[in-house]
Amino acid sequence: MTVTDLTATERPHTTSSAPRRRGRGLAPVLPALVLVSFVFVIPVLALLLRSVLEPEPGLQNYAAFFASTTYLKVLGNTFLVAGTVTVVTVLLGFPVAWFLAIAPSVWSRLLFAIVILSMWTNLLARTYAWMVLLQRTGIINRTLMNLGLISEPLPLINNLVGVTIGMTYIMLPFMILPLHATIKAMDPAIFQAAALCGASRWQAFTRVMLPLTGSGIAAGALMVFVMSLGYFITPALLGGTANMMLAELIAQLVQSLLDWGLAGAAALVLLVITLAIYMIQLRFFGFGETRS
Amino acid sequence: MSRHSRAGWIAGLALTAGLAGAALAQSGSIVFTSWGGTTQDAQKKSWAVPFTKETGITVKQDGPTDYGKLKAMVESGNVSWDVVDVEADFAAAAAKDGLIEPIDFAIVKRADLDPRFVTDHAVGSFYYSFVLGFNPASLGGKAPKGWADVFDTKAFPGKRTFYKWAAPGVLEIALLADGVPADKLYPLDLDRAFKKLDSIKKDIVWWGTGAQSQQLLASGEAPIGQFWNGRIFALQQSGEKVGLSWEQNLTAADMLVVPKGSKNKEAAMKFIAEATSPEGQASFATESGYAPVNVKSAALMPKDVAANLPDKHTGSQINLDMGYWAAHRDEIGKRWYAWQAQ
Repeated sequence: MTVTDLTATERPHTTSSAPRRRGRGLAPVLPALVLVSFVFVIPVLALLLRSVLEPEPGLQNYAAFFASTTYLKVLGNTFLVAGTVTVVTVLLGFPVAWFLAIAPSVWSRLLFAIVILSMWTNLLARTYAWMVLLQRTGIINRTLMNLGLISEPLPLINNLVGVTIGMTYIMLPFMILPLHATIKAMDPAIFQAAALCGASRWQAFTRVMLPLTGSGIAAGALMVFVMSLGYFITPALLGGTANMMLAELIAQLVQSLLDWGLAGAAALVLLVITLAIYMIQLRFFGFGETRS
Repeated sequence: MSRHSRAGWIAGLALTAGLAGAALAQSGSIVFTSWGGTTQDAQKKSWAVPFTKETGITVKQDGPTDYGKLKAMVESGNVSWDVVDVEADFAAAAAKDGLIEPIDFAIVKRADLDPRFVTDHAVGSFYYSFVLGFNPASLGGKAPKGWADVFDTKAFPGKRTFYKWAAPGVLEIALLADGVPADKLYPLDLDRAFKKLDSIKKDIVWWGTGAQSQQLLASGEAPIGQFWNGRIFALQQSGEKVGLSWEQNLTAADMLVVPKGSKNKEAAMKFIAEATSPEGQASFATESGYAPVNVKSAALMPKDVAANLPDKHTGSQINLDMGYWAAHRDEIGKRWYAWQAQ
């Protein structure tokens, strides 16, 4: 039995019911399909049309997008930020999810409440709170200066540092929750088995735990990465103009320059890349499922 | 059908008809969209409340103004805004692009209004100045005088803040700081302006909203920069120790426009007439610290308030050229955002 087979049998309540659903026909999903086509497919098609029809028919918007070093830089920033945030949320989220899964229920319930409550708090309020903490005259810099640890305020805001901190905080629950579900579903006996077979704690972690949580990490990472790609408010408030992300560029094109053709092109470039990443993810990891 | 129930039925019918009649007599409502915050509060208090009292037309507040949304409404023919507060360069461009209705000057009294702030398609909402604002405590007690000081990072160290969007103001400030005389500003020498801005680019924090500019200044995060005079006025009113210099203050007006295809055009024009009336403008100016566009308003205001408005600083005042901006808005905008992102 391979390790991936093990996860499939160990997690009876995940969505690995695809084979059973086959053959039931389209009827049950029809309402959802209609809804999705109205709120998603049709607007996206309209956007696609605008990007090739405005200001005149042709592909000039796409040509302009890829010819501009500015727009390509913005695209690069977007992936850099989304990638960094994804890596940091994995590193921070993993221990938290683990603790949630194994801690005594009082503690895990309390921590769970904190994670969920932070998700439910108004996004703008949370972002402004980070502004207050991170700015040159903010609490962090003041404390460090008063302690004599630094003589000049650290540049924590209006740059990639600020964006990464703010977005990591906001994305963390989306990493913790799927990871927690994966870890919770593991049978603790496998660690005893690993120990009986002579594995050290480190070996048990790298050769048993990590492979088993792989699908959880992949699901969380996909969610965080894709959400980060299109994020607007937090980068707009905590970032500077020199490291703008694509969503803000689109807002500028729509609100200030009224150039919807180019905005549509930029949005579709982002969508296509996002879908490509999703496909790659499905191909190699599955989404909460395992390959046999 | 018994007599009893028939009577009830008729009474019900009469009641329904009566309600419908009352609703018709009230002649509905309009939607006013502005920028939110202290400015829109003052607009509501000074214009919407008395307007509803006089006409019975309710004014629903919406916001913030979003040019993309306005364009989308007009193009889709689904216009839910009736009067919108916009910047003057946008008003000029929108008139050119056919996004807004012509103003009905049979209802709005053009003769009373400062001619600088009236066009065929837009009427001044209020007039403001971009002024140099500063936080003395964060500048070691020194008081900067002119725009050149904002570019002098040696004499005035720390971050400086400017308006983030491509709009009249920042480029003019850079050119003035570089020694261009006020009467030689237009057409803007863009190369020279961006070169001057390059010299302090790493020290710039951009503000996107008035509230953000206030936060940056009051906290000392950016102790010097470009601000709407009304936002400094509001900070001073709330007891913050911030100062401003009127030297080379740059004036422009916000404009009231009616989106093309508004379903309540006549009511919208009546609302604009109320907003630009001597009383409406005087009341708004007293509340906000912005100057009235109606020339008869000054006489209606408390003297100490009138003394601090932009229209008392016309000697050191430079009018931003909205005609130039309307014509070059797109090309400047593209270059502006590309420069910012580099």
